[in-house]
Amino acid sequence: MSPKTSKPTLWSTLKDMPMNVWRSIFRNPLPSNDLERSSTSFTNFFLHIHPVKVHKHSLKPSYTLGLGLISFFLFVILVVTGILLMFYYVPSTTQAYDRMLDLRGSVAFGMFLRNMHRWSAHGMVAVVFMHMCRVFFTGSYKKPREFNWVLGVILFLLTLFMSFTGYLLPWDQLAFWAITVGTAIAGYAPIVGKDIQFLLMGGTSVGQEALLRFYVLHVAVLPAVLVLFIAFHFWRIRKDGGLSRPEDADRIPAMEMAEEGVKPEPKRTYGLQGLVRGPLHKVGNVPDNTVFSWPHLFRAELFVFVVTLAVILVIALLFNAPLEEPVNVMHPPNPAKAPWYFLGLQEMVSYSAFWGGIGVPGLFVVMLLAVPYLDRGTAGVGRWFAKERLLANTIFLTFVIVNVVFVIIGTFFRGPNWAFVTPW
Amino acid sequence: MRLALAIGTFLILVIHGIVFYNQFFHKWERNQIAYFDQAKAMAKTDAERAALADRKPRIEQIVVSNFGETRIDRCTTCHIAADDPRFGTYAEPLKSHPYSVALGDTQKDGKWERRHKFSEFGCTICHDGQGRGLDPKYAHGEDEYWPDPMLGYTVQENWRKDFAPKLKGKEYMEANCAQCHTDPNFKGTPMVAKGRQLFFTSNCYGCHRIQGLSDGTIGPDLTDVGHKWKLDYLWARIADPKSVLATSIMPKFNLDDASIKALVVFLKSRKGRNFSETELQRFKDKTSGAGVVQSVLQPVEIKPGEMVKQGEKLISDRACVACHKLGDKDGGIAPDISFTGLLRDNDWVYEHFRAPRSRVADSIMPAFRFTDDEFKAMTAYLAGLRTPPAMPTPEATYKALCLRCHGEKGDGHGPIAEHLDPYPRDLTKSGFMNSKTMERLVNSIRNGVAGTSMPPWGKILDEAKAKALLDYIQTTFVKEPRRELKPHPVPEQNPVAMSTESVNRGEALFVNRCAGCHGKKADGKGANSLDILPRPRNLRNGAFVNSVSDQRLFDSILYGVQGTAMPNWVDYGLSNNDVGDLVNFIRSINPKPKGGEHAGSN
Repeated sequence: MSPKTSKPTLWSTLKDMPMNVWRSIFRNPLPSNDLERSSTSFTNFFLHIHPVKVHKHSLKPSYTLGLGLISFFLFVILVVTGILLMFYYVPSTTQAYDRMLDLRGSVAFGMFLRNMHRWSAHGMVAVVFMHMCRVFFTGSYKKPREFNWVLGVILFLLTLFMSFTGYLLPWDQLAFWAITVGTAIAGYAPIVGKDIQFLLMGGTSVGQEALLRFYVLHVAVLPAVLVLFIAFHFWRIRKDGGLSRPEDADRIPAMEMAEEGVKPEPKRTYGLQGLVRGPLHKVGNVPDNTVFSWPHLFRAELFVFVVTLAVILVIALLFNAPLEEPVNVMHPPNPAKAPWYFLGLQEMVSYSAFWGGIGVPGLFVVMLLAVPYLDRGTAGVGRWFAKERLLANTIFLTFVIVNVVFVIIGTFFRGPNWAFVTPW
Repeated sequence: MRLALAIGTFLILVIHGIVFYNQFFHKWERNQIAYFDQAKAMAKTDAERAALADRKPRIEQIVVSNFGETRIDRCTTCHIAADDPRFGTYAEPLKSHPYSVALGDTQKDGKWERRHKFSEFGCTICHDGQGRGLDPKYAHGEDEYWPDPMLGYTVQENWRKDFAPKLKGKEYMEANCAQCHTDPNFKGTPMVAKGRQLFFTSNCYGCHRIQGLSDGTIGPDLTDVGHKWKLDYLWARIADPKSVLATSIMPKFNLDDASIKALVVFLKSRKGRNFSETELQRFKDKTSGAGVVQSVLQPVEIKPGEMVKQGEKLISDRACVACHKLGDKDGGIAPDISFTGLLRDNDWVYEHFRAPRSRVADSIMPAFRFTDDEFKAMTAYLAGLRTPPAMPTPEATYKALCLRCHGEKGDGHGPIAEHLDPYPRDLTKSGFMNSKTMERLVNSIRNGVAGTSMPPWGKILDEAKAKALLDYIQTTFVKEPRRELKPHPVPEQNPVAMSTESVNRGEALFVNRCAGCHGKKADGKGANSLDILPRPRNLRNGAFVNSVSDQRLFDSILYGVQGTAMPNWVDYGLSNNDVGDLVNFIRSINPKPKGGEHAGSN
């Protein structure tokens, strides 16, 4: 850097050391021009998953509602609090509940960590579902994003399963009977149902084996699979050309073009970019609707993170995670309810075991997976509730409303013997 | 955006502040510091003061492993002065635990010595509560989900308001004393002893099992009831059974509060464990049947001259009317015994007392533990009840005698019907009523139906009155005129001779054709039985089967029973010989009563 090539003295080495360490970690100074902005995103391990430039449309809060990011940040919070909780938890029927009492009573921050973990988990199920709705209502599963939608559906199912396996771990009455009900629903599947139930529980009833299995699934298997699929999901976002946007989002206003004195380039693809799908066919400093990720995207992400964390902290401070009586296999509560996100299923099971527990939800999942391959029209992508997609959106909205209504009925309107009651 | 970020970040900081504050400034720390300060002021030597000055607040805990599962009691974290006699007059939580001779504490040279040292026993073994908790709400078990709130001290929020005040009081702790002090006569547990006495005098033992004490099967097993339920539930269950479970058939015993309290303490002490014995000892007792207390009741000495009077006293003392109706007292579960002398002879009553199922095969009445003399005295009293109720009209007759079982509408759903087996006949089913001869109906009324709860009314209703009653039933409930009956062509006597081969053939046929409803054991509890009303007949009800002639069995099997689910098997290919085999099989599983043939052969 400096023209002087004087031999470094011990003193100057020591004096420059902090700055050298800093520079060795962060290879770029705080960016002040476009090159440095690109470089910052590109050379930082944690940032390089982002594109250097991002489309303005993708940054619109009203378009994404930040739901995907919230899901991810909730997952991060869950991993951190979950690892801390793991230090205290023992997956043993004789010890688990006592450990819960210790967490509540004597472990430093134990109660607060458990609250955060619990409410984040519930939040994640809800937010992932809302994220799926957002993607559907904006038609974002269409070509070339079909497979990323499939990945998303798998992530949704994994999230449910993740939350479900965690539900058992406190080993209280709530956990025990919710899992008893939940696994019984799985048992209604034809042919393999009973085997799945047996495999899940490691026996014919919920006991030590079930607790151990759910624990291993919850802390090792599912998080690993989930991380893999999240990475895959993110990678596909980049490779599918970023977030979906309406066709006209790439159009540069004519006036701007004239000012810059450039003619529209022919639509061609160049070099490596040819491997990346989507309308990325510009060369040189052509005006477009993208902005640098630093600072626009990163600031938005930070904002979502801060809000998510703040909300979870407030909820964790105000509401304690439930801990009911220790397990008593002789006395089921009446009614014994599955976790809330399965109460829609349980409600349907109360009408017909097979159709409610397996038939309808199975059909629903298959439909979800098949949607991008059935609905091949290209119109209406990138806009909420586009008129061109009225039929698809109506069908999906109906499903969503029915599901939500069933969950609400199951949660609030079902009393002893699953009889209809009013919550007031 | 920047402002929102700033607010969000600030919020996160504030919450961290609150959480850290809660974490590092516990209430119990303040308690402990207050204790150290006070103790320092009381200290007499410098060494003591120095030792106290060195003490820092920390979680105190007692690990108790002598009694069943290991207990962790952290109560002394707040109640740090529990074992410091100088703090006897302080307010909780710094009050020291009182010394008491009743607890076995001894005084030597003005210094008390505890019998139950906290370091050995901990706290929750006597007091209950959540030993691991450090927050008073959780530690004392006020949280509605904690199964063992502090006995006699803590009332949970969801407990019924009318019972809750009655559930406070140190007496309740006797239940925990009895975990180790199991001797029924142990002086420290008078409430447990009173409750045990009541368990027998109120006839609880007839329906409920407690291992080592009783073996009733009608109600739930109470061996570890104290482990499963809290005080409020036990109280409600005794005081008002139906308020807890609408389908409960437990009678309301109308006990006074003191008695209920004693029973609750006794039941709370039944935790299915006993710290004073080893597991091995318990196993040996269980297998050998030793140590079973048959009864704590003192048998009444029956004097020949006062049998009736003593019998009356026994019946009124021992909660018979908790189920039966006697005069104006009505338990609403079992038949009216106000005029037993007119219905049953002494033999029947006496044998029924000793073993109810010897007379009514599916009776739910338990065999109670009375001495032979006591049974005889009660029989003598009941035999003297010979005043029929006033019944000027057939309608009044129906209401006085029949309604309790057959119901207001005659549909067999009377107030006590659900406790009877077989279920009372549905008199509105014209198919049944009109297919039976008048003679048979009159016979059923006047001579009763053996093996069931239908008593012989002959001494109250003569032929004419019985017929008038049947007319009333015909017009009020059956509502269809009787038609002329064509007798079915059935043999009067079983044409197939009784033999092992015939019985085997009959059994094979039975399993094939009948077991679906009548059950593989012929006890009327086949797979379909619950879908059918009236229920399939229990063909092992000896008293009933032996009272029925071959001719009637042939008729019922071949031509069905109208108004019930019994089909006419002649249409399904059963021949007279097949039915003969079946009848032989049914007869073979019902041994004939001593010295008599079944009615058909008389």
